[in-house]
Amino acid sequence: MNRMNGKQGILIPVVFMLLMLFGGQAQAVVNGVTGTNFNFAVREGHISSPDGGSILMWGYANGNGLMQYPGPTLIVNQGDVITINLTNELPAGNPVSILFPGHSVTASGGSQGLLTRESTSATDTVTYTFTASQPGTYTYHSGTRPELQIEMGLAGVIIVRPAGYSPANKTAYGTGDTAFDHEYLFVLSDIDPNVHDMVEFGMANQIDNSKRVSALWLINGRMAPDTMGPAYAPWLPHQPYNCLPRTNPGKKLLLHVVAAGREIHPFHVHGNNATIIAKDGRLLSTDGVTPDLAASEFTIQNEPEETVDAIFTWTGKDLGWDIYGAGVGYEHDCVDNSGDGFDDVTHEYCADHNKQFPVLLPEKQDLVFGGFWSGSPYMGNSAQLPPGEGGLNMNGGYFFMWHSHTERELTNFNIFPGGMMTMMVVEPPNVIIP
Amino acid sequence: MKTKRYYLAPLLAVFLLQAGVTAALGAVSFQCPGFDPAADSDTNGDGMLRATDDEISNPLTPSQVCMHLTGGDGFVTMADGKETYIFGFANVTGLPDNQVLETGIFAANFPAPSIILREGDNFYLSLTNVGMMLRPDLFDAHSVHFHGFPNAAPVFDGLPDSAVAIVMGSTLTYYYQLAEPGTHMYHCHVEAAEHMQMGMLGNLYVQPAQNRLPDNTDLNGFIHHTGYKYALNDGDGSTYVDKEYPIQIGSFDPAFHDASESVQPLPFAAMKDKYAMLNGRGYPDTVNPDPLPAPVKNNGKVSQPVSTLIEAVAGEKVLLRISNLNVTRFYTMASPSIPMQVVGKDARLLRGADPDGNGPLLGQNLYYKTSSVTLGGGESVDVILDTAGIEPGTYFFYTTNLNYLTNNTEDFGGMMTEILITN
Repeated sequence: MNRMNGKQGILIPVVFMLLMLFGGQAQAVVNGVTGTNFNFAVREGHISSPDGGSILMWGYANGNGLMQYPGPTLIVNQGDVITINLTNELPAGNPVSILFPGHSVTASGGSQGLLTRESTSATDTVTYTFTASQPGTYTYHSGTRPELQIEMGLAGVIIVRPAGYSPANKTAYGTGDTAFDHEYLFVLSDIDPNVHDMVEFGMANQIDNSKRVSALWLINGRMAPDTMGPAYAPWLPHQPYNCLPRTNPGKKLLLHVVAAGREIHPFHVHGNNATIIAKDGRLLSTDGVTPDLAASEFTIQNEPEETVDAIFTWTGKDLGWDIYGAGVGYEHDCVDNSGDGFDDVTHEYCADHNKQFPVLLPEKQDLVFGGFWSGSPYMGNSAQLPPGEGGLNMNGGYFFMWHSHTERELTNFNIFPGGMMTMMVVEPPNVIIP
Repeated sequence: MKTKRYYLAPLLAVFLLQAGVTAALGAVSFQCPGFDPAADSDTNGDGMLRATDDEISNPLTPSQVCMHLTGGDGFVTMADGKETYIFGFANVTGLPDNQVLETGIFAANFPAPSIILREGDNFYLSLTNVGMMLRPDLFDAHSVHFHGFPNAAPVFDGLPDSAVAIVMGSTLTYYYQLAEPGTHMYHCHVEAAEHMQMGMLGNLYVQPAQNRLPDNTDLNGFIHHTGYKYALNDGDGSTYVDKEYPIQIGSFDPAFHDASESVQPLPFAAMKDKYAMLNGRGYPDTVNPDPLPAPVKNNGKVSQPVSTLIEAVAGEKVLLRISNLNVTRFYTMASPSIPMQVVGKDARLLRGADPDGNGPLLGQNLYYKTSSVTLGGGESVDVILDTAGIEPGTYFFYTTNLNYLTNNTEDFGGMMTEILITN
């Protein structure tokens, strides 16, 4: 353990406490902008790392808003004609543009660049138009000096809702096999702070891409523990998106996993396997209806520029002991009228109902405790912990780390823990997730 | 005078033993219901206590299995001869509690002792933290993360953030009911980037229930016979194999290990692995069928028992259970002469969902033949080598990231092993 770790040990609870204060914003939704017509401007700004560091970024801004990293998530409907007007407020000499992989785009205005039309100033508008013809998860990013500008932050996500989508009928691709209860975005990226420093110091022409080395790793533009803070936190004005997945036993969680950096990341989901239903906005299917080519993985390989849609469910099935406790003080029913093996309301696995916890846990002085430990192995329960321990698990939920399994990426400027990591929580059945 | 510190081993043992004796709690405590340390032991030497092997006097169930690991430090020898400081696990299964510390201190293995289970097992895994002898400045806890365990509960997930981890001199027992087969892996999750780079990584896999079907069972036309083995429950014999080998990809950054040994700040962003290994050894040590000689700095304890020499009689099918637990990069492994059929990924059969969920109709078959597989940290694949029609001889299984065919500065080594085909 590095001696400096103590700082972040404090930071995680602090951020989480703040999350609790702003709890109303911790919704099971993908934050973003909706509609068909968008006005984007490219602006400069500094994002924050949890150790107090500050990194110059170039980002897409929605309307008059601040530049943000990643860019605004566009949530649009299948069949809509999408128009994006782009202007450029970067220092002169840095034309910008947008590419939309997977879409057939018409561009007008501005001036012709190598890959698409580019904007050179705040009054030079480029208009991109495309039809969101197929549902799925897509990226957008700069098409101008992408080797520099994507590193600097010009990248974002588009989610195309399938025809027939509604809050009462949530599916990823329009068919029952792609239905979900909650959804979350995971934009995985990496940053070499030296590149950003050189741009800030006016030395962009001296950047040597062959010497690029990542030192920061992010989810949704934030480094842990900030990933677990609230969305739209006022102290992170350029990093509006958080990543704090929540679910209940038996519910379906849709993951939109998007690699927006340079590196390939193995994204490990603790708790259970996830079923990969689509890649790059296309269902893994022989007939276009059922994801019959879907595979189940505990580590999602996410390659640069790739999008992956996966469905995750946690039930606690077959643990061999009752996750709600057995015996005196833990009385509860398991009623399975539907015949699926699970309680019709709580989704408890009835075959394990009332089975005793299998081992003796050591006494408190023999253990160290995680902040997300309730003190009890049972869901929805808690037990007293020594002063200063635990405290981040209000509902007795089951917390699991979702993170890059390239473990050196769990650091911020060489300090563990941090980086490409967040916590997913399976809340007890009575906890309503908005 | 670095060498003097090794004499601290008995001192630390005495300290921990006394702590165990004088405190009412906080002692080594192996939990294996019905195990009698006076009468029972690991008689077949497989590193585990298994009720069906008559190694537990009064098991709760016939499917009970127990194991006892220690977490601590030690040394391993790289293929270029360099003795490298590691954190790691050692196997003390079956030892009386009062012998665990003196046996387990400074005995770390790399890779960690293999955990080989069968679907349906009830597995009790005790972990005793014996402390890091060369790092008296550290008070790190340890844990076991059963990577990819389906529907895990935090209390047994080994993640220190969401549950508990065990302090020095004490024991935590994990429990797993193995409802599903597959190639998993395990590692310590405390200070994961550090403890994993330092070597707390091991093979873990669960053999399928299909292996134990009654003789002459018809699997959709494939007739099962006693003794047949499979990668996973395939329902049609398509993953039948004659033998299986776990192969864990790992790699060390010598600068990181040296910094740890000499109590220096640890480089994370600058981490660059230069010893690329399979099962804790670089080539040519990978093909040594015996345990490697004990490192001098390890007080004579053998720490690298796992060979990766693959042997088959032409015509046999060989299952490679490949997992990757390095913490810095992806590796591509190639078998250019003997095609690989990938039948599983992340402990699941590569097959789409059963269309009606009721069988016997099977889902879409997603197996594929290839000559290379690419894995990042935390990924596993099940690969079958079909040696039918392969000429007897020596073949190579190696990383095509060719700059990793080195043992630090020494060329022609690293992440490579041999496949010996005989008549």
